[in-house]
Amino acid sequence: MSEGLNYQFLVDTFFVALSGVPIALLITIVALLIALPLGFLLALTRINRIPVLNRFAQIYVSFVRGTPVIIQIFIIYSSVPLLLASIFEKYNINMNVYDVNPIWYAFIVFSLNTTAILIEVFRSALSTVSKGQLEAAYSVGLTNVQAFRRIIIPQTLVVALPNICTATVNLIKATSLGYAMSLQEITLRAKVAANVGYNYVEAYIDIFLVYLILCSLVEYIFKLYEKRLRRYKAVNA
Amino acid sequence: MEKYFDVTYIAESVPLLLPFLKVTFLVAGLSVLFGTLLGFILAAMKTGNSKIAKKIAYGYTTILRCTPSIVLLFLTYYGIPSIAGNFGINLNDVDKIVFVVITFSLQFAAAMSEVIRTAYESIDKGQFEAAVSVGLSNAQAYRRIIFPQAFVVALPNFGNSLLELMKEGALAYTIGLIDIMGKAELIIGANYNTHALEIYLALAVVYWILSIVIEQLFLKLEKMFSKGKQVIKTT
Repeated sequence: MSEGLNYQFLVDTFFVALSGVPIALLITIVALLIALPLGFLLALTRINRIPVLNRFAQIYVSFVRGTPVIIQIFIIYSSVPLLLASIFEKYNINMNVYDVNPIWYAFIVFSLNTTAILIEVFRSALSTVSKGQLEAAYSVGLTNVQAFRRIIIPQTLVVALPNICTATVNLIKATSLGYAMSLQEITLRAKVAANVGYNYVEAYIDIFLVYLILCSLVEYIFKLYEKRLRRYKAVNA
Repeated sequence: MEKYFDVTYIAESVPLLLPFLKVTFLVAGLSVLFGTLLGFILAAMKTGNSKIAKKIAYGYTTILRCTPSIVLLFLTYYGIPSIAGNFGINLNDVDKIVFVVITFSLQFAAAMSEVIRTAYESIDKGQFEAAVSVGLSNAQAYRRIIFPQAFVVALPNFGNSLLELMKEGALAYTIGLIDIMGKAELIIGANYNTHALEIYLALAVVYWILSIVIEQLFLKLEKMFSKGKQVIKTT
């Protein structure tokens, strides 16, 4: 390894790693689309102390936050195919479990994971909106849905946005573990390219750069959006 | 036909896994030690007067926050020996745990620098001035006045970072460190890759219990250390 870096390989692999970005982003976006509404609803059950769901959400959050993501991936990746196989067998569906694209498992794992994180984020954000806001909305004749859509959610979102940004960045970082499900994303693609000539250092520098660019971009977009949302926020002088 | 799912495997694998918690704790402990030291330095750079030092410290935090731990892990594991190789030093025989500790120390330092900075900034400047005005030296003022107060503020965030570190530490198995996760992989390998699900469930339970214990411990600690704290009522 003393011959220094292989710059040609460094440049070539950068684009290989870059080609994994769409998959990483697809997983991130799908996971967020599922987790945002689900997290918000479950956060509401936590705040309103709805008997069974409240307890369920509490244990769920504790489990997801208390175990490493990689173990969650392995659990889903080894249990869901078993379930699917028995379902296929029962209903005589002629389909091989091993043909299922691993991206489906990735959707499941990362949605479940992000939901738990967002429950906590929304819970703390919702508790910053005072109860009087909801009562005031009712008193001027808004329905429940209207009150949430026009009064509560916009205020919650401003508070929650920095934490949602952190959750998104963590999610993008966590997709690097998709290699455990043989998912063709950034890390796996660059690693496979490196296997040919043992150019691991170069490959990991590329992966590192791609994630750095990706996460910086996401943080920047969130900052812009936060500024836009804050427009209406009155500052207490 | 053999059963797909056998609960007895969960119970059987837990005693096999538990001895390897030692390694997990060792990695976490050393990373906390070095990470906190580096975090102090970074926090000092962030709160200091030098513009360049500030830029470096903030840049370091941003970069580390944007890097998945697995990428950082491999970068140190392959990168450091290759850099050392350029200077004619052979690091290929160094134990893997060293690279794991380096990786997680670097990562923990980034988190800790923010924790320490926010804790330090949460203490009112008047506290320091008051301490100096009653005749304490700078070092005394920091040790007796600023540090005890900042410590209480930092404690919950420190606990969170520690939990995060424990969980990320599970990735050390990818470079072949035999900690609790690595042992689980070995057990699965010895079973010819059958009953993987049961072993992973056992592992998840161990981690879950561990994190609940740590969480409760930090709640207790917080209560203990904040007993001297008096809330000033402003009316």
